[in-house]
Formats: sequence, C-alpha cells, structure tokens
Amino acid sequence: MDNTFINYLPLLAIVIPLAASIVLCWGKSLGETAVKAIALVGFILPAVIALVLAFQFGDAPRGDEGYAFLTDTDLGLQSSVGISLLLGLNGISMPLFVLAGVVGLAAGLHAIQSKAERLPLYLQLLLVMQGGLMGVFASVDIFFFYFFHEFALIATFIMIGIWGGQGRRSAAMELTIYLTLGAMLALLGLIYLYISTDSVSFSLIELRKVVASQPISELVQKNIFGLLLFGFGILVSLFPFHSWAPRGYAAMPTGAAMLHSGVLKKFGLYGLVQVAAPLLQAGALGWSELLVWLALGNILIIGFVTIAQRDLKQMIGYSSVMHMGYIFLGIATMTVVGAGGAVLLMVAHGFSVALMFMLATAIFNRTRTYDMTEMGGLGPHAPLLSGFFVAASLASVGLPGFANFWGELTVFVSLWHNYPWAVAPAVLGVVISAIYGMRAIARVFYGPETELFKKTAAAGNIRDITMGERIPASILIIALAVIGLWPQSVSRDINDAVEGIEAFSRPSMMNHAEPLADAEAPAANTEDTAS
Amino acid sequence: MDPSQILTAILLTPLVSAAIICLFLRRGGYVAAAVSVIAAFVILVLSFYWLFNWDGMEYTCGDSALTILQFGGFEVNIGYLFNYEAATMLAVVAFVGFWIHVFSVGYMDDDKDKGRFFGGLSIFMFSMLGIVLADNLFMIFIFWELVGFSSYMLIAHYWDKDFAADASKKAFIVNRIGDFGFLVGIVWAYHFYGTADISAITEIIHNDPTKAIDGIGLLLMCGFVGKSAQFPLQVWLTDAMAGPTPVSALIHAATMVAAGIYFMVRIFALLTDFTLDWILWSGAIMTTFAGFCALGQTDIKKSLAYSTLAHLGYMASAIGLGFPGLAIMHMAMHACFKATLFLCSGSVIHACHHEQDMFKMGGLFKKMPITAIAFFVATLSISAVPFTAGYYSKDTIIASSWGLYAANHEGIYLAAFILTMLGALLTALYMGRMFFVVFLGKSNGHGAQHAKESSFWMTVPLIVLGWILSLGAGWFVQNGLDGTWADGKMTALIPTDVAHFMVDGFHGEHNGWEGAHEIYEEAHAPWVEYISYACIIGGFAFCWFFYGRGAPEDRLQKSAPGIYHVLERHGWFDDLYDWYVAHVQQRFANILGVLDLLLISGLAVRGTASVAGLVGLVCRSLHVGSLHAYVYWFLLGVLIFWAFAFGIL
Repeated sequence: MDNTFINYLPLLAIVIPLAASIVLCWGKSLGETAVKAIALVGFILPAVIALVLAFQFGDAPRGDEGYAFLTDTDLGLQSSVGISLLLGLNGISMPLFVLAGVVGLAAGLHAIQSKAERLPLYLQLLLVMQGGLMGVFASVDIFFFYFFHEFALIATFIMIGIWGGQGRRSAAMELTIYLTLGAMLALLGLIYLYISTDSVSFSLIELRKVVASQPISELVQKNIFGLLLFGFGILVSLFPFHSWAPRGYAAMPTGAAMLHSGVLKKFGLYGLVQVAAPLLQAGALGWSELLVWLALGNILIIGFVTIAQRDLKQMIGYSSVMHMGYIFLGIATMTVVGAGGAVLLMVAHGFSVALMFMLATAIFNRTRTYDMTEMGGLGPHAPLLSGFFVAASLASVGLPGFANFWGELTVFVSLWHNYPWAVAPAVLGVVISAIYGMRAIARVFYGPETELFKKTAAAGNIRDITMGERIPASILIIALAVIGLWPQSVSRDINDAVEGIEAFSRPSMMNHAEPLADAEAPAANTEDTAS
Repeated sequence: MDPSQILTAILLTPLVSAAIICLFLRRGGYVAAAVSVIAAFVILVLSFYWLFNWDGMEYTCGDSALTILQFGGFEVNIGYLFNYEAATMLAVVAFVGFWIHVFSVGYMDDDKDKGRFFGGLSIFMFSMLGIVLADNLFMIFIFWELVGFSSYMLIAHYWDKDFAADASKKAFIVNRIGDFGFLVGIVWAYHFYGTADISAITEIIHNDPTKAIDGIGLLLMCGFVGKSAQFPLQVWLTDAMAGPTPVSALIHAATMVAAGIYFMVRIFALLTDFTLDWILWSGAIMTTFAGFCALGQTDIKKSLAYSTLAHLGYMASAIGLGFPGLAIMHMAMHACFKATLFLCSGSVIHACHHEQDMFKMGGLFKKMPITAIAFFVATLSISAVPFTAGYYSKDTIIASSWGLYAANHEGIYLAAFILTMLGALLTALYMGRMFFVVFLGKSNGHGAQHAKESSFWMTVPLIVLGWILSLGAGWFVQNGLDGTWADGKMTALIPTDVAHFMVDGFHGEHNGWEGAHEIYEEAHAPWVEYISYACIIGGFAFCWFFYGRGAPEDRLQKSAPGIYHVLERHGWFDDLYDWYVAHVQQRFANILGVLDLLLISGLAVRGTASVAGLVGLVCRSLHVGSLHAYVYWFLLGVLIFWAFAFGIL
C-alpha cells in the first residue's frame, strides 16, 4: 500500500469536521465569529478534499477491486474480529464522496448564516453529520461503513428533536423507529453475510475475494439479500416503507433535511450497489422482480400521492421518495447500464433534493407558509429566487442539461433487457413529475398574488434571494449543470467500477438485443418483437 | 473551416448568448436584446455561409461524434447528420428566427423583462438547432425536451397573470405526455435496431423493410403529436398564445411545431403504411376541424393559432400521403406566411395598445399600410392563391391526394382529398374574415383609432417575410432545379440546396413536390384546380358580404350563437381534459394520498406501534404488586406446563 500524503486525505475529510465539532464545545467562550469561522473550515475542507481526490482519481494507482487512496488504520480490532478503519475510494464511492462534500458545504454555508437558535450546537451536530457522511462513503470496511451511518443518523435525530418544525415529536418518533428498524435489519444482514463466508475480515475487498472463490449457497444468499434489501430499503423509503420520509423531512431543520435527503439517504442505495448486489448476485437476482414492482410503486403510487400534496415541503419529500423508485429500478436490472444509471442518479438526486429543501425554506421565509394554495405571485418580488427554484424543479423533473436527466434516461434504457414491460410505467413517471413540478412553480411564483401573500408582502418588504442563500444554491446548481452538460465527468469512473463487478453482467432476456449494426441478423427476431 | 466546426459554432452561438444574458444581463434591457439579436445574426450568417459552401454530400460525424455518456454498451453521442432536409430546416430556422428576433426588439420596447425574454429566445434557437442537426434519437430527445422548456419559459413571460401561468404549465405537461410515448419508442428503437443513429436505422430498414414495425413508428409519432399539437394533444397550442406575440410567431413558424414535422421526416423510413395512414387521417381531419374552430374566435392570435393547427394538418397529410419533401416544403412556406401573419398581428396589437379582439380593430389599412400589405400578401399565400408561396405546397397536397385516389382507388385518399379541400375553403373563410374585419372599414375601438404604423424594427421583418417571401418563396418549383442563378447556388429566391429536398424528396425516392405533382398530372383532373380556385374566391366573397368590412361584431355569433359556441369551445376538448384533471386525476391522487396516510402511516405504522403498546399495557397490568395474584399466575403457569408435559395441549 502506498502511504503518500494523498492517501490520508479521506481520513482527514472525516476527522476535520469531527474535530471542528469538538472545538465548538467551547462555543460560548469563542464568540460568534470564531464559531462560524471554525464551522466554515469544517465544511469547506472536506469539500475541497473530495474535489481534489476526484481530480486525482483518474491517475491514482489502484489497489484491489479498483480502489484508490487506500489506507488502513488498525484501531485494535484487527486481530480479534477483523475490523479496521480501511479507507479508500472506487468509481462508485468517489462521486458519492464528492456529493457528501459538496452538499455538506452547501448545507453548512446555509446553516452558518441561518438564524437558528443555539447556533453553535446546531453547527456542531451538522459537523458530526458531515464527518459521518464522509466516512460512510470512504469506508471500505463494512463495519465502519455501517458505523459512520449510525453516527450521522444519531445527530439527525437530535436535530429534529431540538430544531424540528411542526409535529416534530411524532415525526421524530416515527422516523427514529423506522430508521432504527431498517438499520437493524441491515445490520442483521451484514452479520449474517459475514458469518456465511469464511472471511476473517470485514473489508469489502476481502469479502469480494472470498465470495468469488467460495460462493455462498443460493438460498442463504437470498435470505441475506432479503434482509439487506428491506433493511436498506427502509432507510431509502422503498415503497411501502416510505411514510417516515415526507413527514420526517417536513419536520427536520433545513440543514439536516439537506444532508439527510441528499446524502445520508443514499447510504442504503450505496449499500445495495456496493455491498449487497456484488456479494450476493444470486440473491439479488432472486429478489429483483419484486424490487421492480416495489420501485414502480414508488414511482406511480407515490407519484400520484405527490400530485395530491398542498404543502411544499411535503411535496418535495414525496417527490424524493418517488425518485428513489428510479434508482431501485436501475439496481434491480443487475446490469452495468442499470447500476451505472442508478449511481449517477443517486448523485444527481442528492444535489437536486438538497437544493429543493433549501429553496423551500427560502420561500417559507418570504411567504410565511408552506401551503402552496395560499402562495402565488412571489415571482416578480423575487425573480432570482424563482429562477433558482424553476431550475431546481426542472432538474428534478429530469430536464436535459441537468444531471438527473442522464440517470433517468440510463435507467429507462437499462430496463428494456429484462423488464421490457416496466419501461412504459417507469417512463410515465416523467409525466407525473412534470405535473407536480410545474404545478408547484405556477402556484408559488406565477399568477396573481393571493390575499395572504398580499398581507405578508405589506407587512415586511419581501427581498429577493440573499447572498447567504444564493451561494449554497449556486454551488448545488453548478454541480447539477456540470454533470448535466458533461455527464462523462462522473459516468466514466462509475462505469469502470460497475463494469468490474461480476454481478452486474446479467444476460439479456431479449433475444434481439445483439447489435444489428450489419442488418444481417435473422429476420425471425423481428416477428418475435412485433407480435 | 471544418464542417463540424461550423455546425458546432452554429449550435453553440445561441447557447453562449443565453448564458451571457442569464449570468450578466438579467436586467440588461436593450443590451440583452442586442446580444440575442447579434447571436441570431451570427447563426444566420454562418448557416448561409455553410449552405453556400456545402457540396451537397450527406455529412455525418461518424466516429468523431462526441460521446457524452457511456455505460457498458449504452452510449449517447452528440453528432451531426447534415443532408438536404436538414439544409432546408436550418435555413428556415436561421432565417425566420433572425427576423423574429429583430421584430421582438420593436415589440418588446415597453417590457421591463427584456433580459428574460431575449435569453429565452436564444435558448429556443439553441434547442431547435440541436434538433435540426442531431444525428441520433437520444440527441433529438435531449433538444426536444429543451424546446419544451424554452417554450414553457417564454409562454410564462407574463408570469404575474393567471392565464400565462396556466398556459405555460399546460404546454409543458401536454408536451411531456407526448414525450412519454416518444421516449418509450426511442428505448424500443434503440434496442430493436441496436443503435439510435438515424442514418444507421434508415440503412437497416432499406436492407430489410420488414424491420420497420408499427409499434416503434406509432410511439415515436407520439412525440410529433405532442410537439406539433396534433389530435388529441392539440389543446396546448391555442393557450400558448399567452406568451408575447413574437414567441407565438417563433413557436408557430420556425421552431416548435415545425420540429414535430421535421422529426417525422427524419425518421420517415421507420414509418409503416399503417402509421402513415394514421398520420394522414389525423392530419386531414385536423385541417377541417381546426379550420372551423378558427371561425369561432374573436381573438386575432387565437384564430391564427387554429389556422396553424389546420396547416400542421396539411403537413401531416403530406407525410401521410408519402411525400416528406412536400411536407417540408409546406412547413417552409408556412413558416414564411405564418410568421408574417403573427408578426403583423403583433404589430397591430402593439399599435392598438394590446387590444387582441379583432372586432375592436378595423380600418387599419390606411393607418398601418406596411403591416396591412404584408398581412394581405400572407393572407393570399395561406389561402393558396396562385403564384403565392402557399399555393405551390398547399394546392399540391390537395391535388396529390386526389392523384393518389385516382391511381389506387383507396377510400382514405378520397377522404383526405375532401377534407383538405374543405380545409382550403375554411382557410379562405377565416383569413378573409380576419383581413376584412381588422384592416378594412372603419375603426371600432379606442386603440385602433389612434393606431400608427409600427417602428422600423417591426416593419422591416414584415417586408422581408411578408412582401417578399410570402409571395415568392415557392417560385423555385416553376423550373424545378434547373432555373438556377449565381453559379447554381440560387433557385428563384432561395438557395438551391435548400430547395433540393422540397423538390426531390429523399435521394432517389422522388417523394418531394415533383413526385406529388406528377401523381396529380397523371390523374388528368384539371377540375381539382378549379375547385380550389372556386373555394378561394367563394370564401373571400362570402366573408366580404357576410362579415362585412370592419364589422364591430361577429355576425355568426349574433345570428347562430349555438353554432358559434361549438366552434368557440372547439369541440369541448379543453373542457373534457380539464374535467379529467380536476375530477379524475386529482381525485385519484387525493384518494391515494389519503390511503397512503391511512393505510401505511396509520394502520401499518401506528398499528404496529399500538400493538407493541398494547402488549406493554397488558404485561404491565399483570404486575399488580399483590402476592395473591402472583401465586395464582404461578399456579396457572405450572398448570400449563403440566398440560404441555403430558401432551394435553
């Protein structure tokens, strides 16, 4: 293993926010400016590190299984239970690591200038989340992968409890129970997995090697994958285990909502793509049909539920649940194209949903309500804010030019080979999301002013987007647009990693799928498809 | 310059312009306008430079196409396919688009959101040029969506108005419904042919015609139905009038609706006879249906919008008849005269202080002669008066449907002939009505009384598009491709390369104007022409006497309010869809929302929680703290244990 400085950067990205968080314990004696400055450092450095690593990733020397920047720190558990803080990044975790860094920066910037009560504590918890998130995606060791997730999750629970919005108690309770249940199922699955192999290490690299040489029996694989699927599925609001998400997000303070919906929620999906599916190919194939059905439930049923929402924040929460369906669909295909599209969409969704939650708060600060039927006419008062919101909505609706489009398109294409019947219902989602997306824009920003809005506008002058909102929003929009205009910037690494995973080489069930470039393929195929 | 560099420059110029305006010139006013107009001018110059230097050989990027996304075997490329149909389309978009930009400068002079408007125009040009140049289905889809977005943004220009908010939302969603089928079709086609490259697919089908299958053609057609506002998705186009008038001109003439026709021509090889028949039916019916609806509007822009629907019906009919060249020709001619009509209406509306009701205008001929003459020429052209631009394309569509009937004796061609001919009569009726009511007689409204001829920015485009091109854009067919000048670069008023596809159609297939005209000649039916003339003259004459000159009110509305009402509501399509959205879709969504709360949040989640709570409650009630009770429980336990042990339980 190459122990140059750059290999320690992932570790630094975890330690810095945590260290900043600890320093903030002395928040009162430091004074407000120092608190903000320290928090700022704690948010900026991980993002910078993530970007530096992303730029270096292409040329970095690769270890096993395509991992770069590997460092192993033994915390004393190595010899006894085979756990060590093994950090590294491959093509799947690299973009998500950047996502965590960038969304964390945006959420941090937003939090620093927000007028939250007990700001030092708020920032402290947010920094803990940030450190946990960087850890989730940098961990190669499954134990720490799980550990960092719990770490970040606990901070989330506390944040809802203290700074939550309306209905925070019941929402926090439901969310806590739900997520703990999901996390426990996932933990059970992971332990089961560990026991079923002869591995002496929790390292994903080791596990992959062991599984490749001594495959787990198909039945056991199915059992384990079932546990992981529902455990991770609950964490990602897989239909019908989604009800925590919209209400939970509505109750979360903005920074936590941004980080949780944007990044932390991707833990489950990431676990499926990086851990469960590669190690348990047969298990995943056994469950994939059901997963397709549930994912369509996410897209269609939750899609319609989203249309019915009147509360802006609930609507964003539901739409986020709906978009999880596409990612699950991509994973369910168990192909390079599907898994690649799923990872790309995870990244895209992370940026867009964080942006949406942030802008929803900005809108609330001006209209004093989340009820869309009482809004209207904000546009001319805040043209720039509406520009941002329109762009964010269109990104999440899948407009080309933003990252989400590429993920959705890839997933649709990937479905054809094994689930051709699912293409049309999945694509119907683009109409559904257009309906609620356009309706929300029209209700909030367009049209004449409502009575309530007139009153609010008369009471205090309504300002366009402030610098404190504008900088984080710009960061997220730029990220979406960069990937949207040049998706290869992300997809190349994802593709390399996904192609290297045996499990994603599922053969096509469609017999005409061989490229027909030379038009000489047997004509019989045509009739099959036409009928 | 290398062809791909020129094409890239053409494509990126408007994007750069939009980016500059969006980033720096949001409140730029005339500076933003200047950037956008200059960008349009650069596109125009580059396009015609390229057209005049093009060798007429099909240009494709081939392997040098830019791969923008790749997962496994799935690739999305950005590449160009430039051939004769692309040449025609490029010329139309660049030329008409530029003049609409110029006109906008004058029209938007009193608007405070010039930056947003001109940025939108640039992004619209970018999206449209992407469709024109694209060489594969995925790239077309990308720009297709962007066209939808651009129109959305421009229709919502007056965003503080209810109607603009509704209309923009409707346009985007209805287009998305079309795109739903379109995208499924693209995914199917990509997997079926193993490629999304248009020329490769065409090649495959040429080698094996059985590979053109109905399903793919019909699904891809959905995209066309949405963008070109064909039945049953025609409802967005008339509402899209909520945008500023130059936007209507752009949508109706050079960009959005034309994109649908152009796309169908691009994938013409894919369309089976069944699909073509379908397109012919829907197109032919639309010519008549929309024609009637145009008579039921008093808003000048709405009436023109219905006339666009009718003329899209003609273009679709031409495709359905099997003459893609003729369809593109009608699209190009239509671009000239419809842009003129919309710009004229814009000029009139601007002069009458944003009055859009025709019956409150009147007598504008003397006050606005340049506009009036342009409108007059375009009226003649759209009604297919001989030797005007519209005559060559529209009359040939009608005549060739009779020609095909004479040759094959298939009922569908006869039906198409009757419907398109009726459509021609209706065109004369609604255009005659509009011209006489708006420009002749005396002024009926306050705005019209004080109207003055519009500024130089607005009249120059009218002269170019109206006086010259609406009149003479079609003259090139008189001598076929032989009557060229300027070293063969020009034919009549347009570049030879632009005329090529319209006259000849696809290479070696003879399915352009010439092919259509020959079919008609073979039928030896000169009376078809005579009926057309009779329709035009009869239509105008009827309007002259029935509606009168500069009438203050619609006589049809007064004398037959029932009929007028049917026309005005255009068959209650909008009402039907509104009812569906409000009473079916929204209720369904609400019910699902309630079920989601009740069943999943309520029953499943709360239910589980309360079961756990209940168990706790029961257990707690056992802990009463009384020794007697514990003893009884203990005995009960022993009893049960005993029962188990002896196999009683």
